[in-house]
Parts: sequence; structure tokens; C-alpha cells
Amino acid sequence: MKKYLCLGCGFSYDEAMGLPEHGIAPGTRWADVPDDWVCPDCGTPKSGFEMVEIPTYGAPR
Amino acid sequence: MSVRFVLRAGERGHARLVSTGPNATYVAGHPDGVITRASSFNFHEYQSGIAGFGCIRVFGDEVFSPGGTGYNMHPHHNFIIMAFVLGGALTHVNTIGEVDTLRAGDYYLFSTGSGGKHAELNIGREDARIIYLWVLPGRLMAPPSYLRGRFDAAAGAGRITCLVGDEPGALPIDQALKVSRLVGAAGGRHRHRMPVGRGLYAFVLEGEAEIGGTMLARRDSIALENEQTIDVVARGADSDVLLVETRL
Repeated sequence: MKKYLCLGCGFSYDEAMGLPEHGIAPGTRWADVPDDWVCPDCGTPKSGFEMVEIPTYGAPR
Repeated sequence: MSVRFVLRAGERGHARLVSTGPNATYVAGHPDGVITRASSFNFHEYQSGIAGFGCIRVFGDEVFSPGGTGYNMHPHHNFIIMAFVLGGALTHVNTIGEVDTLRAGDYYLFSTGSGGKHAELNIGREDARIIYLWVLPGRLMAPPSYLRGRFDAAAGAGRITCLVGDEPGALPIDQALKVSRLVGAAGGRHRHRMPVGRGLYAFVLEGEAEIGGTMLARRDSIALENEQTIDVVARGADSDVLLVETRL
């Protein structure tokens, strides 16, 4: 499943989960995350994220 | 064999971080504390270079001045962070509960997984010289873990020693990755073999080396692919090379 990984610290954004505690509703597509949004953990800009398709620990492969 | 890139020492991204001003909370140490960082790949403000190679995203050649300089406690997820200490002393503190001091030859593997914080400090009296390597993990959100290893340059001289990866004596890692080190005498020819689908990022720590037919000076590096055997020829009196084999 696609996730978006911060290349500054490794924080991951999951479209299904969103980041409601940071004002981004569950289901918000990455393309719809504002361009001026930054990583909540380290401040890296949205452009400094990379789309990855890496299985999640414990999830069926 | 194909060369993906050759990166000369001076072509890397060079950053100088001080413990005052905008980075005062990020950078630890007294007001004269300085971190120098030469990045082989794009990292933080340096974004005009190479994005990565295989699962490697960060390769930082860093020096922390003495007196408490380093990085204050800060958060990570997912990345597997490795530090290889070349000189001085590095004190690593993490939220798994490890407080560790590493010296020349020591290295750690901190898999940050579902979340972990760390501080990296030079509380010694001489410069701490460290190579930081970050790679993407094989699985996201794994339980965080910390492992430590030691490379004995005297015992390992004249051969390629695996430090991280699926080999006896090496630290295991949840990724198709192998980190090796070679300290070799001038003229010595060494062969690194790797499976199909892997690439090699080779970085000259000290001396000179001819790798895959390309001459490299101190702190030069090369990325090679489409080859299962790569020759490393030590050209300096004591050439010291770090080899990072990664899935592509």
C-alpha cells in the first residue's frame, strides 16, 4: 500500500488515516494535502516526501 | 558493468551547522559547537544532488566538534539509521533506553520503526568523526530496535568484512542490504560478489582505491550496477573503503 515518507525523519502519511490531529481528514489524498503543509515531526516540506510501497510490519504480505 | 554515478568528495552537499540561531534546538553544544556534514545524497537543505541509490537515502560524512556538540533528542520513524564511528567518541542516547558510547571501529544500527528518538553527542575532547547511513526498511512501523557492532581494523585487515547483513558475525537487518568494510594494503585486489538485482555504493574513507576500474581518492564514491563481481584494488598505503550493497 502506498505511503508517503518524510525524507527528513521517516514520518509516514497514510491517505486512509489522514492526520486528523493536524487538521487533515481521513481519506485525504496526498495530492490534496496543501502544498505548504510540512512534516509535523521535523518541518520538512511536502516536496521532501517520497511515495513508498513497503509492507507494514505485522500485516499480511 | 555500468556506473550509475561517480561522486567526487568536493561534489557532495556541504553543510555547516552551528548550535546558535535557527538550529539552536536541533544542534547541541556550546555556542562554538559546529557540525560539518558532507552529504552524498539530497538531505535537508541540500536538494540539488542525487536522491538516493537503491534503498539508501542518506550517506552523511560528519564531524562534531568537542564539548557536547551533536544533535539533541529528536524523533524518527521507519528509517534504519546506522552510524560508523571513524574517530573520537560518539554518545548515542535513544528512547529504547540505550545510552551507548562508540569509538573508532564501533557502529550501531538503530531501526526506528514505529517511532524512536535519539540524541547524538560528542562529549569527548576531540572531534567525533562519523558516517551516518540511512536506508528504507523492509517493513514500515516495525518495533524499534538497537544493535551495536565493532569492526576490528587489525583483525579485519586485508579482507572484506561484512558489518551489517545476512552473514555470520554481522548485524542483521530487515532489508536487502549489506555493509562491508575493507582496510587493505597497497596493491591488494579484493573481489566483492553480489546477487543479481543488487547495486554497490562504495565510499573511500581513507587512502585511494580503484573500484570497478575507476580511481577514487579519499571521500570519493561510486555507484555500480549490473555486475555480480566488482574488484576493489587498494592504491593507498592503507586504503579504507566502505561498501554498501543494496537492492535496486
